[in-house]
Amino acid sequence: MHELSLATEIYRTCRATIDARGPGRLDSARVAIGELAAVEPELLVYAWEAVVSGGRDAAARLEVEWHPARQTCATCGEVRERAPGNWLRICPACGGPVQIAGGDELDVIDLTYTSDEEEAAK
Amino acid sequence: MTQVDVRQRILSDNAAAAAALRERFAAAHTLVLNLISSPGSGKTALLEATVRALAGGLRLGAIEGDIATERDADRLRALGIPAHQILTGGSCHLDARQVHGALETHDPGPLDVLFIENVGNLVCPTSYDLGEDFKVALLSVTEGEDKPFKYPAIFAKAAVTVVTKADLLPYVSFKLEDAREQVAALRPGGTLLVTSAITGQGIAGWCALLEERLAAKRGAAS
Repeated sequence: MHELSLATEIYRTCRATIDARGPGRLDSARVAIGELAAVEPELLVYAWEAVVSGGRDAAARLEVEWHPARQTCATCGEVRERAPGNWLRICPACGGPVQIAGGDELDVIDLTYTSDEEEAAK
Repeated sequence: MTQVDVRQRILSDNAAAAAALRERFAAAHTLVLNLISSPGSGKTALLEATVRALAGGLRLGAIEGDIATERDADRLRALGIPAHQILTGGSCHLDARQVHGALETHDPGPLDVLFIENVGNLVCPTSYDLGEDFKVALLSVTEGEDKPFKYPAIFAKAAVTVVTKADLLPYVSFKLEDAREQVAALRPGGTLLVTSAITGQGIAGWCALLEERLAAKRGAAS
C-alpha cells in the first residue's frame, strides 16, 4: 500500500543523481527489495509507472532485485526449506534459535541514463 | 547510455529525519513509542487507560495519525494531555517528516513519554522509522491469534506486543497461548502484555514498563 511513496522516493533519488551530472533522461533504475521489507515488487512496478508517466522519463524501466532473508540454525546449520514469508526465529526442526541475515534491503542500486549530449550526438 | 552506481537507501530521507528526531528526544529525555496495529484494535483506548492510570505522575503527550477526523486527538485532549492530530489524507503510514512538522507547529512542551499512534495498518508503518525508542504492536483478541504469523514483519520489529480487549476472551475463540508462541517465535526475548482498557487488566504492568524504560533511557543518558 505504501509502494507509491517508495516509488516516489526512488524516482526522486534517480532524478537527483542525474541532475547532479547534467541534463539527461532516465532509462532504467535497479532496486534491491528484501523479503522482510513488506513491499510487493509487482505493486512497486505499477506505482513506478504511475510516478514516471507523463514526463520525459516516462519510458524508464524499474528492475526489482528480490533478496530473500537467509535463516541459519545454530544447531542444524542452514535452514533451507520454508514457504516464502515464513521466517520464524525458531528452528522448525530442533526448536533452537535461528539467526536471520539480510532480507531488509530497500535500496536503489544503480541507474542508466542518456545525457542530452549523447542524445544530440545520435 | 551511462550507468551510475547509486547505492542509496530508498528511505534515506526518512532515515535522516528519524535520526534528527531521535537526537531531539534524547536531549529532551523523552521516551517515545510508535504504536502500530490494525484499525480498531484499541490503540486510543489503551492510551486513554494509560493517561487515567498515570494521571498526575508522568507528563504524557500524543501524536495521532489518521486518514481523517480529529476524533482520536480530541479523546486524549479531553483527558488533559497535549495531543496533535496528523491527517494523512489517505496515506497509510506516518513518516518522520510529518512527526517533525507536528512538533514544530504544536510544541507539546516538556514530556516524559510521547506516544505516536500510527495510522491503523499492520504493513506500511513497519518500514518507517519515526525516531522512536521502540515500536509497540497491538493485537486485539477479536482479530484472531494468527495475526503475528500473517503479518510477521511488525511483530518481529516490535519490542513489545500488547494484547488488547482481554475482557472479551470468554466470548471469542482467541487462543492466547498460540498468540504468545507466535510472538515469541518472531521476537525472542520480546515482551507480551495482556490488557483490557475496560477492566483495567494489565494496565498497571504496561505503566510499569513505561516507567522502567523511561528510567533506563534517562539512566543511560546521565
